[in-house]
Amino acid sequence: MAAHSSDTCNSKYVTLVSTEGFEYVVLREATLISPTIKSMLRGQFSEAKTGRCVFPEISGLVMEKIVEYFHYWYRNQDKTMVPDMEIPVDLCLELLVAADFLGLDKQT
Amino acid sequence: MSRPDRPQRRIMGPQSALTDFLASHNISAHQIRLDADARRRAAGQNPDGTPVEGSAAATEPTTTPAEDEAAIPEVTGRRRRTAAAAAREEKSKKQQKAIEKIKASKKFQKRKRASGSGDDSDYEEDLARAIFERTAPLPGQMENCAVCGKRFTVTTYSRNAPDGGLLCGPCGKDLAKAVDAPKKRAKRIPGALTARRQAMSSILDGTFKLGAKSLATLCIETLAKNIDLAEDLGDLPEPVIDKIARKLSKHRLLNSQTLSLFIQPTAEQVHIYDCAKLTADDFVRVFQTVPHLKKIKAYNAIHFKDEVVDYLLSRDIELEDFYLHGANLVSESKWKEFLEQKGKPLRSLRVYWTDKHFTNDLLALLETACPSLERLKVSHNEQVGAEGVKAITRVQTLRHLSLHLRKHVHPDVFVALLNSIGKNLETFSIAMMQGLDNTVLDAIHNKCRSLQKLRITESEVMTDDGFERLFKDWENKGLRFISFKNCRHCESTSPRQNPDNVGLCSKGFKALMAHSGSKLQSLNVQGCRHISASAFEEVFSADKVYPELTELEISFCEEVTDFIVGSIFRSCPQLRELNVFGCMKVKDVRVPRGKILVGVPNALGMVIEGTED
Repeated sequence: MAAHSSDTCNSKYVTLVSTEGFEYVVLREATLISPTIKSMLRGQFSEAKTGRCVFPEISGLVMEKIVEYFHYWYRNQDKTMVPDMEIPVDLCLELLVAADFLGLDKQT
Repeated sequence: MSRPDRPQRRIMGPQSALTDFLASHNISAHQIRLDADARRRAAGQNPDGTPVEGSAAATEPTTTPAEDEAAIPEVTGRRRRTAAAAAREEKSKKQQKAIEKIKASKKFQKRKRASGSGDDSDYEEDLARAIFERTAPLPGQMENCAVCGKRFTVTTYSRNAPDGGLLCGPCGKDLAKAVDAPKKRAKRIPGALTARRQAMSSILDGTFKLGAKSLATLCIETLAKNIDLAEDLGDLPEPVIDKIARKLSKHRLLNSQTLSLFIQPTAEQVHIYDCAKLTADDFVRVFQTVPHLKKIKAYNAIHFKDEVVDYLLSRDIELEDFYLHGANLVSESKWKEFLEQKGKPLRSLRVYWTDKHFTNDLLALLETACPSLERLKVSHNEQVGAEGVKAITRVQTLRHLSLHLRKHVHPDVFVALLNSIGKNLETFSIAMMQGLDNTVLDAIHNKCRSLQKLRITESEVMTDDGFERLFKDWENKGLRFISFKNCRHCESTSPRQNPDNVGLCSKGFKALMAHSGSKLQSLNVQGCRHISASAFEEVFSADKVYPELTELEISFCEEVTDFIVGSIFRSCPQLRELNVFGCMKVKDVRVPRGKILVGVPNALGMVIEGTED
C-alpha cells in the first residue's frame, strides 16, 4: 500500500476532480502554475499522497477550461507572442472566480 | 407616320418621385405593375388555386397580350408581335425551368413516392405544375415565409427563397445581406507583423512577459470586451474588480453605465481610472451608494466640480485617501471648505494637474486642518510656490512628500523643509526643480534617517562632491528607489568638458551604490553622462552583487559599453529591464534569458532575450 501511494505521488500526472465528480488527469508540471495546487501537492496532505485534488466548488465546465489553460500555459511557457486562449463569455465570471481561487492571477 | 430615325416622343403625365428614381436605376415601375396585374388576373381565373390541367397554358395567352401591349406601347405591329412571341417563349422557358427544379426537389420526390405512382410522367408533370402554381402566390395575398414560416402579405418586391417559395420582409433582407456579404473585402487578420509590433510595444511599456498570459488576465480581457453583457460582477475579490476597472479604463469603456459595476455599497475604496466620460451626477452617485467610503481615486476627473464637493461635504463620509487627477473645476474656496470640514481624517492627499485653484493658501491650511496627513503629493501645479513649500514645513506628520511644481522655489526653502520634517520622511521627491544645489543634499544627509525613496531630477547645479557627501557615512539605511535623472552638466559650447564635476559623476555614483546597493530595487541615472566607464566597471565588478535591483535606467550615459552591460547582468540577478537608449557604445550584447534590454542603437532597437542561460 505504501509502495502504491508513493508510486502515485511521483507520477507524472495528477487527477483533478470537479463538483460532479468528473476527473481530469493532467500533467503534474502543468498544474504547478497554480500556487494553490502546488501547495496541495506538497507536504503531508492527502492530495500529496494520492495525487488527487478534489475541488467541490469548481464545476466540470469550468474545470475543463482550467485544464485546457494548464496545457496551454505549459505549451507556451518559453514563447513570446503567445496567441490568447479563447474564453467563452458565459463562463467568464465563474472562471475568473476559479482562477482567483487557484491563484492563477500572476504571470510566471 | 413617324420617321423611323426620329426619336419617339413620349407624352406622359406627372410621374411620382419613386417612378423617377426607379427609372434612373433602369427599373420600370410600369413593368412591375403590369406583371403584378397579370399575376392577379391569372389568380382570378384560378381562384382556389386547384391544379387544372394546362392551367399555365390557359393563362398564358390571356396575360401576355395585355402585358406586351402595356409594356411596349411604342413598338409597331410586326415588331410588337415578335417581341410578344419572344417574351412568351422566355416566360414559358422560365416556368419550365422552375418546374424542372420542383421535380428535382426532395419534397417532390417524397410526395411522388407517397402517391405510389412510380413513373407516370403525365402525373409527374401535373404535380410539379401544381406545386409551381402554389409557390408563386400573388401580390396582396397572404403567404407563409419559406424560411421563418411567418405569415405575411406578398408584395411585388417579395424575394424568392433560394429553394422555392417567397420570403417575408426581414428574411428577404437577410438573404440580400448574405448574398451581398461575400462581396465585401474580408477583414485583415492580424498577422505576424502586428503581433511583433505589439510585443515591441509591450517591451517599451515595461509590461512584457515571457509565456502565456495568466488565466485571470485572459478572463478579464474577455470580460472587458463583453462588458455590456455584464449586469453585476458578483462577489469577486477586490483586487480582481480593481483589475477589471483598470482594463476597462484602458479601453476607455468606463461610463455612467459601467461605473455601476464598480461601486459596491459595502466597499471602502473606489478607484476610477478614467472619469473622462463621467458627469458630476456620477460622482454624486458614488458618494450616495458607498456610505463607508475611505479611499477615492479619480483620474481625468474633469467633472469633479464644486457641486460634487458640496454634496461630499453634506454627507458624513470620512475620507482618508483623496486622490484627484485633473480636477480643475473645483474652486479655491471649495477646496478650502473641503479641507476645513473633511481634513481631519485625511491621511493622504494627492492632487495632480491643476492650474488655478490649488494654491499656496490651501497648503497653509494643512497644518491645522489635516492633523493626520502623512502623504502629500502636488503634481503639475501652476500656483504653488515658495510660500506653499514653507507651509508644508510645518506639517510634522508628513512621511511622504512629492512635489512637481512649475514655479521656482529657492533651495533654501527646501533646506528649511528638510531641517523641519526631514527626520520622518520616507519619500522625498522633487521633480523638475532647477537650481536645487548641494545644500539640499547636505540637508538630506544630516536630517533624513528613514528615507526609502529619493528623487531629484533636472538639477544642473548639484556637484559630484555633493552626491558623494550625501551617501558617504549616511546614517540612513539603504534606499529602495533612487532617481537622479538628468542631474548633469549642461553647456552647449563645450559639452564634454565638466571641470567642476557638476551633476552625478563617478564618485557620487560609486558612493551611491556602496551605500544603497544592497537594498536598491530601482535606479534611474538617465542622462548622467559624466559617470566614467571605470566607475561603472568598478561598481559592477565580478565580486559585487545587487540582489534586489530589478530596474535600471542608464540611458544617455555615454561611457557604457558592451562589457559594462554584460557586467550589469552578472551583478544584478533579479534585473528585469535595462534601458540603454543613446548608449552608442553598446553594439552587440548577449542578453540572458528572460531579461530585457531596451534601446540598443541598432535596427531592432531592443533585444528581448538571449540564448544564454
